[in-house]
Amino acid sequence: MPKNIRNLIQAKDLLWAWSRRIIQARYQQSLLGGLWIIIQPAATVIILSIIFTYFIPIDTGEIPYIVFSYVAVIPWSFFSSSLTDMSSSLVQNMGLITKIYFPREILPIAAMMARLLDLGVASGLLIILMLIYQLPPYLIGWLYLPLILLIQIALILGLGLFVAALNVFFRDVQSMLTLILQIWFYASPIIYPVTLVPENLRPYYFLNPMAGILESYRAVLLYQTLPGYYLLISCVISFFIYLTGFWFFNRVEYKFADIV
Amino acid sequence: MEPAIRCVDVSKQYRLGITRTSLLNVFSHNIRRVLKPDPQEVHQDQTIWALRDVNFELSKGESLGLIGQNGAGKSTLLKLLAYITRPTYGQIEINGRLSALIELGTGFHPELTGRENIYLNGTILGLSPSEIRHRFDEIVDFSELDKFIDTPIKRYSSGMTVRLGFSVAALIDPDVLLVDEVLAVGDASFRQKCIGRIQTLLENGTSIVFVSHNLYMVKAVCRNSLYISRGRIKHHGNTSEVINRYERDLHEERASRFDSEITNQATNILFAEIVEVELLSRNSSPPSEEFYSTQSVEVRIHYRVFHKGGNANAVVRVVRSDGVTCCMMRTSIDEYNLVLGEGNGVISIILEPLQLTGGSYYIEAFITDEMDSVVLATGISNWFYVSGKSLSHETQSGVFEPRRQWKHVETSQ
Repeated sequence: MPKNIRNLIQAKDLLWAWSRRIIQARYQQSLLGGLWIIIQPAATVIILSIIFTYFIPIDTGEIPYIVFSYVAVIPWSFFSSSLTDMSSSLVQNMGLITKIYFPREILPIAAMMARLLDLGVASGLLIILMLIYQLPPYLIGWLYLPLILLIQIALILGLGLFVAALNVFFRDVQSMLTLILQIWFYASPIIYPVTLVPENLRPYYFLNPMAGILESYRAVLLYQTLPGYYLLISCVISFFIYLTGFWFFNRVEYKFADIV
Repeated sequence: MEPAIRCVDVSKQYRLGITRTSLLNVFSHNIRRVLKPDPQEVHQDQTIWALRDVNFELSKGESLGLIGQNGAGKSTLLKLLAYITRPTYGQIEINGRLSALIELGTGFHPELTGRENIYLNGTILGLSPSEIRHRFDEIVDFSELDKFIDTPIKRYSSGMTVRLGFSVAALIDPDVLLVDEVLAVGDASFRQKCIGRIQTLLENGTSIVFVSHNLYMVKAVCRNSLYISRGRIKHHGNTSEVINRYERDLHEERASRFDSEITNQATNILFAEIVEVELLSRNSSPPSEEFYSTQSVEVRIHYRVFHKGGNANAVVRVVRSDGVTCCMMRTSIDEYNLVLGEGNGVISIILEPLQLTGGSYYIEAFITDEMDSVVLATGISNWFYVSGKSLSHETQSGVFEPRRQWKHVETSQ
């Protein structure tokens, strides 16, 4: 592991350059360019709000549904789009992997970094929403935000590196990931509040690390409360996954170039 | 002083056969194996040694050519040196910054401009942005692409891509530079410039490993070479010596394959055979292996005809060691009437003078039927060496050295 981190520090320029490259390439030949970063989550939230406010009303208390869902949708899209991009990051660049050496983890990690930009831009819109709906600020709780994000990034890196490496050997990992993410979406508190989950099932429910992470974002941003025990569960599980993912990646990394 | 590259007992094994890239395949394969063991299964998981027990050292400022046929293991060795793949056994030690130019446009992204790609490629090769900025102008200068530097790479020709790739790889002052085949794409003048740059790098202490099918280029760049055959080092030494050795092997193999190929497609009845093809200098009688470009040379085809004989034709082809046909001479074209009777004889053709540029060559000879369409017998000469005034280091310098006379007339204005 230390060798790995040293590699990454040495390659930080490359990490930056590659992340920039991904972002540039993504929006270069598109009509609306960077606007897509906003359009995507905004559209999701508008659709969700219409459905769950007018057709199947979900009780979200004081909080308007649009803010309620948006707070969870942006970290979720960060999670799912990062994983999707990471899973294909190695396979898409096999040409590079078989021709030149550089720390391989750069590719999946840069894929995540590029999505971090989307998260940042989408969060800007969140601030606007919070101002419109006049949600009171909660400064002590906001101090938790970097910690929650860190836990989420650890989870994404662990899973993403694992999936990216596995996808080199078995191409159907990518399709499987899409399916799993779909199920995962409904297993996490995004379109509904955690209170809808029966009390006695909740400890099991929070074994899903994303549940604790999303609930924590909601707690500090919407409900002015500090995250509960669930963040600790998410933290332990996420860092375990992080270590396992890195370990697995390092174990199989040297085989990448031999697979044609 | 520690060497720039040290390889100790390096071996690389690859698995042949099916690589399963779908989970379903893995499941079904394993279930099938349990249900119905297949005796041929063993073959599918066979492995091949791409490299076996490779040992060598390369000092700083030295250059090493890798010579061998396709599939001999040159590229595998280069990939191992570039750390792209790891050896199955053995150790590789590289001291200093490595820069590899394994393939055309490696590390370039088609959507990005030349400028952006220089930065990207530079960082992949391990430079910091400020180091690249420092060398940027030099790189662009060398590549001669200043007009196109803000054009996306996807609009570059392959020659332009190579130019940019080589410029980045060679101008970041690497300690070890690996070059594979890529220069074959560039134009001749740029290639000369690359060789010049490589020589400068060597003088400044860079070590270079160079792979090319163009043996003349290997000779121009590398003092020493490795001859790799079937994954093993067959010879390690002075480049011309190694090339000679390689060409001799290549020649022997060609000769044996040549015989069996042609005899198979010829008539079933053996009409004639070529016993020997020899080359003689016209001034000194014993057959020789070395000639001058200006010398008159006689090619003698010793044949034996088994049947009654009749009208026939002879064909003589001069081939350079890299397979280029230099010339082909036929009795049918020259309207030389050849009648072969039963028994032995010699057909001879005099080349006056030889007029080949310096290099290694061999001669293929054929006896064909009356219509000059069916090959009846084949023969191949030993390889011979021509030392001419203009030594061909390159494919571009040609195969033909005419008898010439320079003249200069100044006309007053």
